[in-house]
Amino acid sequence: MAESNVLKIRHLSKTFGTNVVLRDIDFNVNAKDVTCIIGASGSGKSTLLRCINLLETPTTGEILYHDVDITDRKMNVPEYRTRVGMVFQNFNLFNNMTVLENCMVGQVKVLKKDKEEARKKAMMFLEKVGMAPYINAKPRQLSGGQKQRVAIARALAMEPEILLFDEPTSALDPQMVGEVLAVMRTLAKEGLTMIIVTHEMAFARDVSNHVVYMAGGVIEEEGAPADIFGNPQKNSTKEFLTRFMQG
Amino acid sequence: MSLPSDFFGRMVFILQNYGPSFLAGAGKTMAIAIVGTLIGCVIGFAVGIIQTTPESKQDNLFKKILIKGIKFILNVYVEVFRGTPMMVQAMFIFYGSSALFGINMSIVFASYFIVSINTGAYMAETVRGGILSIDPGQTEGAKAIGMTHYQTMLNVIMPQALRNIMPQIGNNLIINIKDTCVLSVIGVVELFYATKGVAGAYYTYFEAFTITMIIYFVLTFTCSRILRHWEKKMDGPDSYDLATTDTLAYTSGMVKFPDPKEKEDK
Repeated sequence: MAESNVLKIRHLSKTFGTNVVLRDIDFNVNAKDVTCIIGASGSGKSTLLRCINLLETPTTGEILYHDVDITDRKMNVPEYRTRVGMVFQNFNLFNNMTVLENCMVGQVKVLKKDKEEARKKAMMFLEKVGMAPYINAKPRQLSGGQKQRVAIARALAMEPEILLFDEPTSALDPQMVGEVLAVMRTLAKEGLTMIIVTHEMAFARDVSNHVVYMAGGVIEEEGAPADIFGNPQKNSTKEFLTRFMQG
Repeated sequence: MSLPSDFFGRMVFILQNYGPSFLAGAGKTMAIAIVGTLIGCVIGFAVGIIQTTPESKQDNLFKKILIKGIKFILNVYVEVFRGTPMMVQAMFIFYGSSALFGINMSIVFASYFIVSINTGAYMAETVRGGILSIDPGQTEGAKAIGMTHYQTMLNVIMPQALRNIMPQIGNNLIINIKDTCVLSVIGVVELFYATKGVAGAYYTYFEAFTITMIIYFVLTFTCSRILRHWEKKMDGPDSYDLATTDTLAYTSGMVKFPDPKEKEDK
């Protein structure tokens, strides 16, 4: 089974000054898993995700990607990031480029593909997220949901093995949330390995096959969505879920 | 030759006799201002980029010390040249270089040099500000698709920072057009120096400097308009065309609906 563990996180801790944000985090991600990380704001979910992409440097612990520790100093971080993509809450599309250029620049500059090939690939993924008609638009001309779909296409265009989503729908209105979640559902069905930090409980319950509940910088409970949502073991999980599911 | 008795007559007289001097002076002023601003921008970009380079934990001790040392020297450069008048710098560098190092700069070279490093010191701070003004999310987005720091700067941050500091570059050019007149202290025959010579010939100071005022204003105003036009061009079009023939997509975006009348005509 060890082979199918694409990502293994071992005793991961992160402190900002004296503030402990993550404490001894341990969990595994298998290929084609859709893992949802849920929990209250400030519980360390986003920090955990940012550690996985090394946007934050873990204070202690290991992150093993195909059994290679990525926190090692000799690790080629940019190369690793091409294989573990990330989608942000605030989209972070490049404002100086059009939609198409956003989806091509990584392929051309980082993966060194030729422009025609990059363009074809970009178009393919833009079509998948339903943004192909908007290739000539600049990010500032798009709505939030459109921006996030482009951001997903940009990440997909690098053809990563794992895609990380950091609260991808938190800055969107309910209708836009729907369009973005629809795209993510499709990706889950196609077997992309995803780790998603989200407050969309229904999405976590229906789409993921692994749910991690975090509180106060530790993993309180994890397991299959049916178990976490149907039969939570800990009181804190129960409380958190009742509050969310009521709303 | 006798001077006309009225003001405008004297202005015309000066222009007829000394027009080429004004033109040559204005030409030299513009040459120094434009070259100085361009080289200053290059210096400013280099310094600004180095000053905003983040420290990486992967670097070894030697590299860390080297970067710190370079940053310190650049800081000294910026503070010294921002903190002293260009006129004094001109005297200091022009006479100092020959007294201390035995380098005999030509006056023209000295003026290009002085304006360039002076502008560079200002631009360094402007570029640094421009880079810091870009949302950190842009850097994170670039890193997340595997870009290195260099690729991120080149493809994402600098194009946006450049757009943001365009007004400041224009400002610097205009300041330089005006401030080259202080270089007359080392004897560069730019517009101010040329005017002094012309004015002195017939004691027509007011007339000569009226002409020079107008020339300076025309130069700066033209430059500011040209730069404003460039800025607009950099922003690109306000709207975009939908790249599709799918009629359903017309419901959003800013594309024209097909004109129904055209079909009827057929």
